[in-house]
Amino acid sequence: MEMLIEKLLPGKNVILVFNGMILYYFAIDFLARLQLQELPTLAVVPYLHLNIPKRKLVTFLNVRAAFTAFNVLPLFIFFPFCILHISESYGPLVCIMYLLSIFSLMVFNNYAALYFKRITAENTKAVLSGLIFLITIALLEYLNLFSIASLSDRIFEYISIQPAAGLVFVCMAALMFFINDRYLKGNLYIEELQSDVQKRSASDYPFLDRFGEAGALAALEIKLILRNKRPRATVMKGLIFIFYGLLFYKQKMLENNDFTMMLFAAVFMTGNVTILYGQFMFGWQSAEFDGLLVSKISIKSFIKAKFLMLTMASTALTLIVSLYGLISWKILLIQFAAYLYSIGVSTVIVLYFATKNYKYIDLSKGASLNWQGVGATSLLMSIPLLLTPFIIYTPIALLSNPYWALGCIALTGIAGCLTRNFWIDFLVAAFDKRKYKIASGFRERS
Amino acid sequence: MILEITHLKKTYAGRTVVDIEHLTVSAGDTIGLVGNNGAGKTTLFRMILDLIRPSSGEILSRSKTVAGNDHWKDYTSSYLDEGFLIDYLTPQEYFVFIGSLHHMHVTDVMEHLQQYEDFFNGEILNKDKYIRDYSKGNQNKIGIAAALLQKPALLILDEPFANLDPTTQIRLKAHLKTLRSDHVTTLISSHDLNHVTDVCTRIILMEKGEIIKDLHTDRNTLAELEAYFSE
Repeated sequence: MEMLIEKLLPGKNVILVFNGMILYYFAIDFLARLQLQELPTLAVVPYLHLNIPKRKLVTFLNVRAAFTAFNVLPLFIFFPFCILHISESYGPLVCIMYLLSIFSLMVFNNYAALYFKRITAENTKAVLSGLIFLITIALLEYLNLFSIASLSDRIFEYISIQPAAGLVFVCMAALMFFINDRYLKGNLYIEELQSDVQKRSASDYPFLDRFGEAGALAALEIKLILRNKRPRATVMKGLIFIFYGLLFYKQKMLENNDFTMMLFAAVFMTGNVTILYGQFMFGWQSAEFDGLLVSKISIKSFIKAKFLMLTMASTALTLIVSLYGLISWKILLIQFAAYLYSIGVSTVIVLYFATKNYKYIDLSKGASLNWQGVGATSLLMSIPLLLTPFIIYTPIALLSNPYWALGCIALTGIAGCLTRNFWIDFLVAAFDKRKYKIASGFRERS
Repeated sequence: MILEITHLKKTYAGRTVVDIEHLTVSAGDTIGLVGNNGAGKTTLFRMILDLIRPSSGEILSRSKTVAGNDHWKDYTSSYLDEGFLIDYLTPQEYFVFIGSLHHMHVTDVMEHLQQYEDFFNGEILNKDKYIRDYSKGNQNKIGIAAALLQKPALLILDEPFANLDPTTQIRLKAHLKTLRSDHVTTLISSHDLNHVTDVCTRIILMEKGEIIKDLHTDRNTLAELEAYFSE
């Protein structure tokens, strides 16, 4: 590790850099845990009615919560360095305090993240505020107003002078552990471990009425997204991708009319709901698929509803990312071409591959690191979808100019929209051919 | 004749689950399908509803083949399991959605639902809950009511009495009998021999995919069925 630090930041004090890293690591660690660490609460449900003391169940939950990759990583990252370097420079006592502090921070993070998740279970606000927090910190660090690195450095420097200070971390970890422990002990009921029951009210989307049966089905799908955890999280993920522009839109490329990379970002930003949500199309409705098949819905309006839904999503996303137009009007051109491509071509590709997806999806599970329903087809789908714009763009941009190339992408999209009825019939035929297979696949729930 | 089944066969990996040479259902019949688990009742229902493709044979609904056609959806409604419910809707939203597919306005739907007031026993409507948060018995009620809402000429219910409380079972039986006088063709499966013999005019007994007995209900039917199942 010291080799890495020396190589990346030559001429700096190795221990200084190391100190600076610690809090940084744990700040990121905390956010990652919030997003990824599983709540082990449900594991205990089958044992609640058995003759096992409550105390034991809580302990089981607490111990089980400690077994996660997040608790192994820091040991590998920080411990070797501490043992080799800190003890060399400051002596064994300081080294032990360092190890203890890092270990305590890890334990603190572990239970703090779980506690946080428990009290705000099913709360999207928590995720959003966490995100805002992250962005604020990054901004402050960037503007040199506040730096986690220097704070971390000061704290750990103090430990090297005053080793007993490390015990503060131990106390913090112990405190967090007990808060979590008490909460669990007081709330060990299935009802309270699960999501809170909100008042559910009916809602309507009258603006969809004009689309007839397809409109009613699209309204149904909007409710599906808003009222179920996994589709909601998937679409939220799509909203995060609208920041792609910050990464990909570069002044230099704009000046040189080199749109290739920006085109990728534009296709992804305007069509990400189509790609991310659409890859599991039909699977979202796997639970009620039999019911849909036997009810008086024509498959044609079913497919039309999907087009309607994806078009609305792309339109909304395009309107949002049009703000990038403030950087340059060229971005608006790129995005508009990408938008037409998304609604004209991407939708067809996505829906075609959806007819080859036979996997049941449990809507109540989270979306991150959830591979249920992910098959080869859903991964395969993104290749033609993201590649086609470049197949059109690159040769034309080389032969004539980039604006013509964008125009051709837009034209492909418009052609897709104009021939939509043909594609609907094509998809209906594909759907009818495989509907028994899809239905029987969805009936297998694992 | 509303349904005609000929040479119908369904096999899974060499194992025959349904094997029916010939079966006809005349309009207005109330048919009870009985048989132990694995007899092929649900598979038969699924084939009648075009959810499963038969290995061979054909099902005609009003003299037109069911597979690949939509005409039967106009007059057929069914409830087999929770897979027929859209569980993230409130019951009202679900009823309104199903009604809209049959061009019923919201007010029509609500008016129609009033006759199920005592069947629902005050537990279904205006509860501000999604269907997924209801108990199994209440989900069952929602599914049956949604099937009836479509004013079918052919009604198919898979074990409608399961999970229902005694009061509701009795109310459902009464309702099925009124359907009989309205000339609705009804196909129900059940493990409760008392209920089916009470409600149905004709009982079909299946075992391992085949029809063993096809009886017109009379005084002796219940005893005959009980004798068969206790063997």
